[in-house]
Amino acid sequence: MFGLIGHSTSFKDARLKAMELGYDHIAEGDLDVWCSAPPQLVEHVKIVSPSGKEIEGAYIDSCFVPEMLSRFKTARRKVLNAMELAQKKGINITALGGFTSIIFENFNLLQHKNIRNTTLEWERFTTGNTHTAWVICRQFELNAPLIGVDHKKAKVAVVGATGDIGSAVCRWLAKRTGVGELLLVARQEKPLISLQKELGGGRILSLEEALPEADAVIWVASMPRTLEIDSSKLRNPCLMIDGGYPKNLDSKVSAEGVHVLKGGIVEFFTDIGWSMMELAEMEKPQRQMFACFAEAMLLEFENCHTNFSWGRNNITLEKMDFIGEASLRNGFSTLNLNGSLQVAAA
Amino acid sequence: MQTLESAEVAVLERPDGLGELPDFTSEAYKDAYSRINAIVIEGEKEAYDNYMSIGTLIPDKADELEKLGRMELRHMKGFTACGKNLGVKPDMPFAKEFFSSLHGNFQAAFAQGNLTTCFLIQAILIEAFAISAYNVYIRVADPFARKITEGVVKDEYLHLNYGQQWLKANLETCKEELIKANKVNLPLIRSMLDQVAEDAKALDMDKEELMEEFMIAYQDSLTEIGLDNREIARMALAAVV
Repeated sequence: MFGLIGHSTSFKDARLKAMELGYDHIAEGDLDVWCSAPPQLVEHVKIVSPSGKEIEGAYIDSCFVPEMLSRFKTARRKVLNAMELAQKKGINITALGGFTSIIFENFNLLQHKNIRNTTLEWERFTTGNTHTAWVICRQFELNAPLIGVDHKKAKVAVVGATGDIGSAVCRWLAKRTGVGELLLVARQEKPLISLQKELGGGRILSLEEALPEADAVIWVASMPRTLEIDSSKLRNPCLMIDGGYPKNLDSKVSAEGVHVLKGGIVEFFTDIGWSMMELAEMEKPQRQMFACFAEAMLLEFENCHTNFSWGRNNITLEKMDFIGEASLRNGFSTLNLNGSLQVAAA
Repeated sequence: MQTLESAEVAVLERPDGLGELPDFTSEAYKDAYSRINAIVIEGEKEAYDNYMSIGTLIPDKADELEKLGRMELRHMKGFTACGKNLGVKPDMPFAKEFFSSLHGNFQAAFAQGNLTTCFLIQAILIEAFAISAYNVYIRVADPFARKITEGVVKDEYLHLNYGQQWLKANLETCKEELIKANKVNLPLIRSMLDQVAEDAKALDMDKEELMEEFMIAYQDSLTEIGLDNREIARMALAAVV
């Protein structure tokens, strides 16, 4: 069985969803009630691959909402409690969605293996970052040509280049896609320099310097609300892939020739009878989902019960190859600009 | 060279890495501890009494229930030692008063031979209340008490909770009564938690965390009995409104 740990995108949405599901006790509660609410296994699903393999899964809502981000102790408890629940339910491989993996990494929860009488087994969890990175790269490769950008010649800015997903994207674009030039943007200089060394190229720039030069911008950093982008300085055409969380890039840029694509989203070849993806504001919630969630499904389809994506900067090209092939084989395709989907053929 | 100060600092780190442990020697800590410790001791003692009482209602299970009760007595002794170790005299009159409403409800149910309500109060609500408090306390307890509490929690998780098993086996006939009894008694737990929130805070135990731990234990317990998510959600509502 695979598992997905997710949460609502806002407190307001969380209450509405809780009401709809019949969880009146928390739906009517204030934020303090939600801070004390245990994780909930809200849905079981069955999924059949194009080849006819059936797997079962469960969706766990951690009862975290982004309004809790400032409450460090609460946020960490939500993540650990949801993981404990997944393990107690005997789920083989669970993806940490939304803020879950961000909290896990930023608050260094690796040192908290013991939750009550449960010792968390890390091999049961995955951040899903390998699939997310592969999907973002593929979205770039498929969509750049659609807007007239030659992806072999393009200058591609990766914002958040030194993160787990960012560095994997850089590796792929440099070695597999073979883009024109990589523009590396991140907050800290030291990791940028070692990334540049590893890649054997790429130019380190500030965001302001990189944007006017880029034919494509891949965002894999969470964007501060206060960040403003001067759309007039962007190139025409320019492909912007919003791979961060939450996805709010389309509210920040709008200019002729600038195309914003939600990054790291995949679509299954057929409807899945679940209701929880509505929470994530997917356009087609019956089929679309975050690539990190899909990674847990892929690992279950492939009988690969291991923490496939774990820790920082462990995503190799070989792992991306493996998950990419599994993705295509099991009926997933990437979200693309024109809404129509790339047929699952390499 | 290790100094006295550095040794103290080492002892004062929380086991979960979330900062320092409270000052167990301060007057404020001991004052709050006198009530919290008393509640724990009284809770374990009442658990013993309650299991012994229930045993008289189901004589063929009396032995099993007595075993359960004796385990609670052992816990009581352990917690009594925790207070002694800190030089704190437990405020037993406060604790008796603290449990009086719940105790009264248990006694009334017992007098009527109402096993469902007896088990709901003892095996679900009080057990969940205790286990949640112990789970939170372990993270901030002094080293002596932590060891004792860890042993208690291990016991609580390992022992077959007879009440849960009984409710599970009889769910079909007792569900309605269970829901009714929950509506009356869960709000008591909530107000008991509110009453001790300030003292718990003095021991570095957050009310939010206590409530969450309680809800997790309560939910686990009701799931084990065989109730579904929606039924549990409806029952939990009594703690909120």
